[in-house]
Amino acid sequence: MKTLRPLVFAFAIGAAAFAADPIPVKVSTDTSGASTRVVLTFAKKVACGVVEDAGHVKIVCDAAIAPDPGSGTPDDAILKSFGPEGDRTIVLATGRGYRRVDTFELKNPTRLVIDLEGTRTGKAVQVPAAPQKPLPVIVLDPGHGGVETGAIGPTGLQEKNLTLDLARRLKALLERQGVTVVLTRDEDRVLPLDDRTAIANHNRAILFISIHLNASKRKSAVGAETFFLATGATDAEARTLAGLENKAYEPPEAAGAAATPATPPDHGLELILWDLAQNSFLVESSKLAEAIQTELNTASGVRDRGVRQAPFRVLMGATMPAILIEAGFISNPEEEARFKDDAYKDKVAEAIARAVASITARP
Amino acid sequence: MTRRFFVPPVFLLVALLPACGGQNKTAPEPVPATPPPADAAAATPQDETPLVRASVTLYFPSATGDTLAAESREIVDTKRPADRGAQILAALLEGPKTEGALPALPKDTTLRQLWVRNDGNAYADFSEEFMTGATGGSADEILTVYAIVNSLTQNVPAIRRVGILVSGRERATFGHLDLSRPLPPDLTLAAKAKATE
Repeated sequence: MKTLRPLVFAFAIGAAAFAADPIPVKVSTDTSGASTRVVLTFAKKVACGVVEDAGHVKIVCDAAIAPDPGSGTPDDAILKSFGPEGDRTIVLATGRGYRRVDTFELKNPTRLVIDLEGTRTGKAVQVPAAPQKPLPVIVLDPGHGGVETGAIGPTGLQEKNLTLDLARRLKALLERQGVTVVLTRDEDRVLPLDDRTAIANHNRAILFISIHLNASKRKSAVGAETFFLATGATDAEARTLAGLENKAYEPPEAAGAAATPATPPDHGLELILWDLAQNSFLVESSKLAEAIQTELNTASGVRDRGVRQAPFRVLMGATMPAILIEAGFISNPEEEARFKDDAYKDKVAEAIARAVASITARP
Repeated sequence: MTRRFFVPPVFLLVALLPACGGQNKTAPEPVPATPPPADAAAATPQDETPLVRASVTLYFPSATGDTLAAESREIVDTKRPADRGAQILAALLEGPKTEGALPALPKDTTLRQLWVRNDGNAYADFSEEFMTGATGGSADEILTVYAIVNSLTQNVPAIRRVGILVSGRERATFGHLDLSRPLPPDLTLAAKAKATE
């Protein structure tokens, strides 16, 4: 493998500051699964894009990188080899079995996971015996966890415990419908919002359902509502934003003379793509939200607050229909009391399960 | 629709104080509710830049439902979007004056600065106290964020989206909500008054 020359880029204002030294990237491959997985672990945050080409999948980054191949070259039917090209690109040479590429990102450390899908007919590669059509996956996301308790009711009922309780009840019901259910957390721990979405994307879930309980200073606030994402940007606007990436930052007009210079908001490419991910699924998401809200309404004792849109961070990056349920206000004493009752919690879980069945049953 | 009248220069100074925002922790001087008589201008013939006042509509969390309640205020009719927006946010920080509305932002929150860019995006930079407004429920978070966004976008034509910064830094989230990009207004919060409690 040839040595990379350190190179300073005047490519983008943001990149120029730290592009002097190439960013070390650890490359690891895993051929044990059905797809061949390549994981790039970056020493620091860098924005990369994936370009598909005949016989190649290229990972192009906006800063100089120094890939370290780790141990072992794959040489299977899907991925033949990989190596650097120039200072910012890693080239994956794909084999005859390669069909398509799928990527997602993880944080801490920054990782780009590249799944090369296809078929392996090679002898050395283990093919899973009698590959049946896998069950569709639904990812349930119990809100909050760990020190992030979420809302707390007047008698101390904690949102994080109730969301996990509801998610486990719902999981049992959904599994009877012939789907695989993955919980983003099945224990009491902190989980960043973006990681929750990443779990849904990684599992190629057909639905992502985030479960929450609401709270308000208004103690009278009661009832359930289902949200889908308010993106705030059309695709065209987001593309325009992306096009602005390489332009110099223009200081905005400031109010008042005593201006503390603030850092301009850094709308990296990664952020825009993450935001846009859910844009393609808004229609399906709204249908799922409608179905769930309708069922929650018929579950007696739940006050209808309707289907709404809001910029919930946890829904932004989801590459499937994604909704967030606020199942009730635990700040309201009566509603908090109801959520201590197993029968009521079952009723709520059953309502959501019926709605999911009505969506997944469609052709 | 806007009543036009002149005010003496000393009043101009008082009225612009909240607009300057800054790190001034003390509450801005309240703007007189009743306008001075129209002949007040005659008493100050040396005033070369007569001020016009404008009526704006502020949006506060409703006390009775998950909507925004409108309240009108008078501000100095400055044309500069950033000055106009800063006056609106100063009035929003002062809190509601009617019983049907609740404070939009946590107590002691101050506006550090407001920028308005040519692309229609405004960035409001609040003090650290802003983050204490995320107390666990998305319902209140939504009303806090859109009280700010709707109040600015509905009164300042040059502002179409509002980004929120805290202590000069961009924040990924405010509770459940994404703050990484400027938000357009949510007009459904004011329009549908069906959710009364």
